[in-house]
Amino acid sequence: MSNILSVLLQATNTADNYFPIGIQLIFAAGFVATMIAVSALLGPKRKTKEKLENFTSGIESHGDARQPVAIKYFLVAILFVLFDVEVIFFYPYAVNFRELGWEGFMAVLMFVAFFLIGFIYIIKKGALNWED
Amino acid sequence: MPERAELGVMNAIIFSALIGVVMMLGGIVIKSNAGIKLLAIILLFILLGSHLAEYYDLFNIHIQTHGMLAKSRFGMFFNTIIISLTLLYVLLSGDEIVKVGTYGAEYFALIFFSLCGATILSSYNNLLMLFLGVEIMTIPLFVLTSSEKKNLKSNEAGLKYFLMGSFSTGILLMGIALYYGGTGLFAIEASKAANEAQQAFRILLPLGLLFIFISLSFKVSAAPFHFWTPDVYDGAPSVFTSFMATIVKTAGFIAFIKLFELRSVDMGYSWKILLPLIIILTLLAGNITAVFQQSVKRMLAYSSIAHAGFMLFALYNPNDFGKQGIMLYTVAYSLATIGTFAVLTKMKDYTYEGYNGLAKTKPVLAATNTIFILSLAGIPLTAGFFAKYYMLASALKESTSNLWLVIVAVLFAAVSVYYYFRVIQAMYFKDGNAETTEIKPFFKTLLIIIAALIIVIGLMPSLLLDLFYA
Repeated sequence: MSNILSVLLQATNTADNYFPIGIQLIFAAGFVATMIAVSALLGPKRKTKEKLENFTSGIESHGDARQPVAIKYFLVAILFVLFDVEVIFFYPYAVNFRELGWEGFMAVLMFVAFFLIGFIYIIKKGALNWED
Repeated sequence: MPERAELGVMNAIIFSALIGVVMMLGGIVIKSNAGIKLLAIILLFILLGSHLAEYYDLFNIHIQTHGMLAKSRFGMFFNTIIISLTLLYVLLSGDEIVKVGTYGAEYFALIFFSLCGATILSSYNNLLMLFLGVEIMTIPLFVLTSSEKKNLKSNEAGLKYFLMGSFSTGILLMGIALYYGGTGLFAIEASKAANEAQQAFRILLPLGLLFIFISLSFKVSAAPFHFWTPDVYDGAPSVFTSFMATIVKTAGFIAFIKLFELRSVDMGYSWKILLPLIIILTLLAGNITAVFQQSVKRMLAYSSIAHAGFMLFALYNPNDFGKQGIMLYTVAYSLATIGTFAVLTKMKDYTYEGYNGLAKTKPVLAATNTIFILSLAGIPLTAGFFAKYYMLASALKESTSNLWLVIVAVLFAAVSVYYYFRVIQAMYFKDGNAETTEIKPFFKTLLIIIAALIIVIGLMPSLLLDLFYA
């Protein structure tokens, strides 16, 4: 434990380089807090029933938003996320297409093959059948 | 087999992932439960074959891993053990696995993916691979835990496991980040130059190791991070509990040993306080709470916590004795637990009363179950005895000042005899009509083989340990 404490003291000695960053953090938080407080105190307020309602693009809101939704929507959404992520891998590959050469091509081919297997799997399992 | 740190990836990692994919697609083509089970067994044989081919230098796939994975005799031997245990587990409980729900093939695929994570944990050389291994191993388990969709308890267990598991993963990542801050490396091997360069931030290294220790303690359910274990093990379908409590848990210990055999030095004096503290807490929480259980399944969950306490002894001397010990413990504990859970899944009633009079109705089940339970309790002539012996001896070999801890552990082992023997008492000395589901002769034969293995290893542990050096 004493070993840890002495090292801790050393670490705090060298941390004074971070002092400007600390000042900046305090200033940033302080500035935002002050501005919000000032505008809340000085700004004009005229509260009416319509103004206090949730803004829904002018359409009157009905009931609670927490209603059960068919699980299919969730399934499609999660599959969309999965298959959308592949673009994240394709984009850097496209940029570095020439440099990566055949080895890179094979790697991407393998990636797409695994992807395709997943796609075949969800189709065969009927995950995309909207009507039961 | 020579040590080749820089070379290659293990066949087991690639093949376990591939057979998972094949299994998944197989589920589309094959509709019958028997066919799915057969495919799973064939694929596991392929996995075992490919692994053994590499073990004996016949065939392996070379991929440059830049030192992120390291092949070692220890890891390879451990892989042989867990793949064989999984094969045994599927042979024994395959029927129950496909019966859990409507996605038989997927359950097997998830088990194979989880196995892939376990094989990464036995060969990681870099904390990023540790993280990946832990995640690949546990994420399929969240699904398997909640696979009994109509059962509220199973769903609750799955959600609980998921939330607690992701929280502990956060701690693991924090620990890895601090470790990186302290050493400038993700590699688990100490590099002198890096250490000197980062002298100013050395406090981060023990702190990071502490975080990793906490997270891994969670994964192997060591107290005080064990609270998820009874609920999850109890809520999950019994067949999957069996997998979680054996193969997954022991893989967690391998990850533990690999990191802390190199790095426990860096934690300094605090390691000497932390390890005995965790061991005693784990033994206390596991054994004492198990005494008060009414359900055998829940008792086994607590007993798995108690066994985690014993396996933690391997960290005292992880260089030779502890490593042999953890191998022996893995085999002894896993065989016995897979056996008891296989019997448990056949029971209609999971309470102690449900076992009343089993000896009269199903003598073979009762007899083999007795051997499994004796092994779990660590009675001599069973594998469990030498497993515990090696664990305690490894602590004594490190330093005789650990004698008090060994005595405490032996006392707790004596406590464990009480709740284990209640099962034997129910089976043999209580009147009742224990009801089971249909039992096939093949199942009985396998139980007898497992019981025989336990006794053979209990008589001659050197048989197994010689294989380690062969």
